[in-house]
Amino acid sequence: MGKIKDRLTPIGEFVPQPDDDMIICRCEEITKGEIRQAIHDGMFTLTEIRRFLRAGMGLCQGQTCTRLVKGMIARELGISPLEVEPAAARAPMRPIKMIVLGNEGKES
Amino acid sequence: MKRYDLIIIGAGPAGLSAAIEAAKRGVKVIVFDENAKPGGQLFKQIHKFFGSKEHKAKIRGFKIGEELLQEANHYGVEVVLNAIVAGLYLDKEITVQIGDEILHYKGDAIIVATGASENMVPFAGWTLPGVIGAGAAQTMMNLHSIKPGNRVLMLGSGNVGLVVSFQLMQAGCEVVALVDAAPKVGGYGVHASKVARCGVPFYLSHTIIKAEGEEFVTGVTLGEVNSSWQIIPGTEKHFAVDTICLAVGLSPMSQLLSMAGCQMQDTPGGFVPVCAESGETSISGIFAAGDVSGIEEASSAMIEGRISGLAAAEYLGFITGEELAGLSKELEKALQCLREGMFAPENRGQTIAKTDEGIEVSHTLLKKGYVDESEILRFPGIAKASGIHPVIECTQNIPCNPCQDVCPKKCIKIGDKMTALPAIDPERECSGCGLCVASCPGQAIFLVNEEYEPGLASITIPYEFLPLPVAGDKGKALDRKGKEVSLAEVTTVRTAKAFDQTNLLTIKVPADAAMKVRFFRSLEAEPWVK
Amino acid sequence: MGYRADVIIIGGGIIGNSTAYYLAQKGCSVIVLEKSDYIGNGGSSRNGGGVRQSGRDKRELPLAMYGVKHLWPNLSEELEMDVEYYQQGNLRLGKTEAHIKTLAGLTERAASLGLDVKMIDQAEAKAINPYLSAEVMGASWCPTDGHANPMLATLAYYRKARELGVRFMTGEEVAEIKKIKGKARQVVTTEDVYEGDTIILAAGYDSRDIAATVGIDVPMTRALLEVLVTEAQPAMFYQMLGTAAADFYGHQSTHGSFVFGGTSGLEDVNKDNGTPVTNSITASCICRGIMNYFPCLSDAKIVRTWAGWIDVCVDHVPVISPVEEVPGLILACAFSGHGFGIAPTVGTLLAQMAVGEAPVLDVSDFRYDRFKAKL
Repeated sequence: MGKIKDRLTPIGEFVPQPDDDMIICRCEEITKGEIRQAIHDGMFTLTEIRRFLRAGMGLCQGQTCTRLVKGMIARELGISPLEVEPAAARAPMRPIKMIVLGNEGKES
Repeated sequence: MKRYDLIIIGAGPAGLSAAIEAAKRGVKVIVFDENAKPGGQLFKQIHKFFGSKEHKAKIRGFKIGEELLQEANHYGVEVVLNAIVAGLYLDKEITVQIGDEILHYKGDAIIVATGASENMVPFAGWTLPGVIGAGAAQTMMNLHSIKPGNRVLMLGSGNVGLVVSFQLMQAGCEVVALVDAAPKVGGYGVHASKVARCGVPFYLSHTIIKAEGEEFVTGVTLGEVNSSWQIIPGTEKHFAVDTICLAVGLSPMSQLLSMAGCQMQDTPGGFVPVCAESGETSISGIFAAGDVSGIEEASSAMIEGRISGLAAAEYLGFITGEELAGLSKELEKALQCLREGMFAPENRGQTIAKTDEGIEVSHTLLKKGYVDESEILRFPGIAKASGIHPVIECTQNIPCNPCQDVCPKKCIKIGDKMTALPAIDPERECSGCGLCVASCPGQAIFLVNEEYEPGLASITIPYEFLPLPVAGDKGKALDRKGKEVSLAEVTTVRTAKAFDQTNLLTIKVPADAAMKVRFFRSLEAEPWVK
Repeated sequence: MGYRADVIIIGGGIIGNSTAYYLAQKGCSVIVLEKSDYIGNGGSSRNGGGVRQSGRDKRELPLAMYGVKHLWPNLSEELEMDVEYYQQGNLRLGKTEAHIKTLAGLTERAASLGLDVKMIDQAEAKAINPYLSAEVMGASWCPTDGHANPMLATLAYYRKARELGVRFMTGEEVAEIKKIKGKARQVVTTEDVYEGDTIILAAGYDSRDIAATVGIDVPMTRALLEVLVTEAQPAMFYQMLGTAAADFYGHQSTHGSFVFGGTSGLEDVNKDNGTPVTNSITASCICRGIMNYFPCLSDAKIVRTWAGWIDVCVDHVPVISPVEEVPGLILACAFSGHGFGIAPTVGTLLAQMAVGEAPVLDVSDFRYDRFKAKL
């Protein structure tokens, strides 16, 4: 099965798992259970999970957890992880202090 | 705005190689790297590289890094370190954080060579201090001389997991187990054998159930998995460890390319740009080279870098299309060589039953990390001979041939196809020089003399541990799985410039142990167990 | 396959989602068609989160005041999800005499329309927000303004509407609205045909092209605005911020991060590559703007920037209007960057209009045919 367009598509009940309290996104401290619950609340895409929970939106910008979250979405929806979209890439690639980002060098 | 002909992002093997080729053709190149030192992962690679001469085989990674840097300096490549590229915007503009400033630069062409980052795998306790990436462990050991831990469990049997396990032992750590959820070893058999003969047990079809500890890792529990990756109840195994190393793959750091709007594709190997053979992305003048365009070895990254550097030079009008075609041809051939053999990209996930020569592969190697004595005799690197002779325990088709090149007596034959298994030429006589032993990046060659003394055989093994034993030292002779076979005495220890820090330890053991013993553990010092 | 519902909503942003929710509450069957693969992918997820009444056009003000009074305070409870609504006032800051003059004018106009807003001096502003730089001379202060989390509010409406049975279809790009026997009835997408008694067009800038398929035009353009977000900071203040000079706007979120929007001044002529991409100079400009007012945030790290298009109406006021010449069609677009704060009200009004109830507020100021030539 490919990407799910119809958000009423049944994906089964949310069944609690013993390791639901395991942290998946370390930067924002989002657990496996929170992510799984969000998927069952209709967040069928990585983009929505990120906006809904902030998973992957912290200091590392999802470098660590994106793969894991994609895998979880794919499992809950019964699709391939390749059907789950990659994370949007946005500047800055590394966190930058406001005072530095505001200080555009003379060379420019 | 400051403009360069070519901006390269990342001063690793791909980025530096690209810079060298472009600068050679007169292109004005600047390379930005966020790290304090150039070279990317190369300076962490203390092992010898595979391949052939044009791939810098048998040279240690950090030395290749030094050579690349020298070459880059020679051609006037400007390398800016501690320079974090924050974004790749429209019109091939980048912003770079240097010190307390953000600078804007434009390139007429851009090569993104940002490499990859380590994957993680979650299990209970995976966020405890003491759970680290294998690459991080390598950085600690090989760049900063810090021992990552004392008792380490390695998860992942790919080349990274195998190489880092060996390096951990070299650094004085004890590796208590090497674990992989897959049913077979993922990396080169020769790398696995190096680790296995030190006595590290392999647990294939196993995974980590939990890391234990309150404040930091104090132990780990493993379990065996079935074919659907579920833990089989009752298979739990516990180890006291202070460090858990994860070597579970890499993901390309392709965010800049994605931000720039290059056409991307999601693959099992990560999110990568759609590239032409030259590395050019869907945006004309933006290229990708190295791991960022798909995870491979550093050797491949260097060639890809060279090709993309030339392609950028052609794009910028510094060389003609014909010149590019001519120059790329050899490079593409060399790259193709590295992508052949059992570990070729198209063989990923495949089960290979026989070598190209039609020999059944070693199943013990895939399950336990070593070739069983009962299996080894069927490979062409093993030939009975009187007197001193090489025993080459290289049983998989991998692109590597330094042993053939280095033997002054031409005893070792691989032929033109460098993935062929090395074979002993029984017509030629071994002089016992040991160059093959030292040159084998897989440390898979041994010199054996069954008739060393009456009832005693001598075995020469590659040895890269400290403290270095001296002649007369007594110790245990270990077999391929690290089990004690007999007592052994060191007869000679040879070091030479040509051996490049691989010492040749010759030990004598009972003659009937000649085809069993492959490692030595000194009684005076057990170097990897402190 | 062919789907039908009482109401087809084009656009899965906060306007579409809130309308869907209020319609579902009334017992209507609803289908929401979203062009992108993600719910709330346009301006709804890409704005500063202001729930303001101050600074509004007088036509919009009743909508904003209604929402702040009746809808926002209970929204988290109603949607059973924290949308991070804070009603702790709006400070619009000024640093120069000219700024103060501008603010005073705005304040006077809003106050005359019945909004509780006043000018305050430097000391009063400092008392409300001790982090302000000494350069701030004064501010306008609307204590009943606030902010919420736009991503959560958008998704909270979606989540609840979905729970009530609203069918959201993502990746459904609308090709045309089709009249059947003189009435807007079908929505034809690149893959399917949807039928409804009422069609609500709330697709941001894309509404213009879609409306054109039934011969209707809304005079709007679009502008690319940028937002940046910092790493989490200790809890500092929860007022909504803006400035007379329009340097930046934003707030601190529950999470601790600051969300700031702003402009470089070149937005009207920005180019893009087909996706809303950030510009290389805007984030730096916003940072400088923020630091002029909040020097204490200088060391806060920016973790992310993003851009989003807003649909800008020629008179900067939305179109919320039935289209009598295309019976069955209701327009809800051209929100001009003001849509988030009034979304609960607009959703309420649209739901009422769709079922034929009299809307609780007069919407005649938002008619689609109000645009006239200058002479």
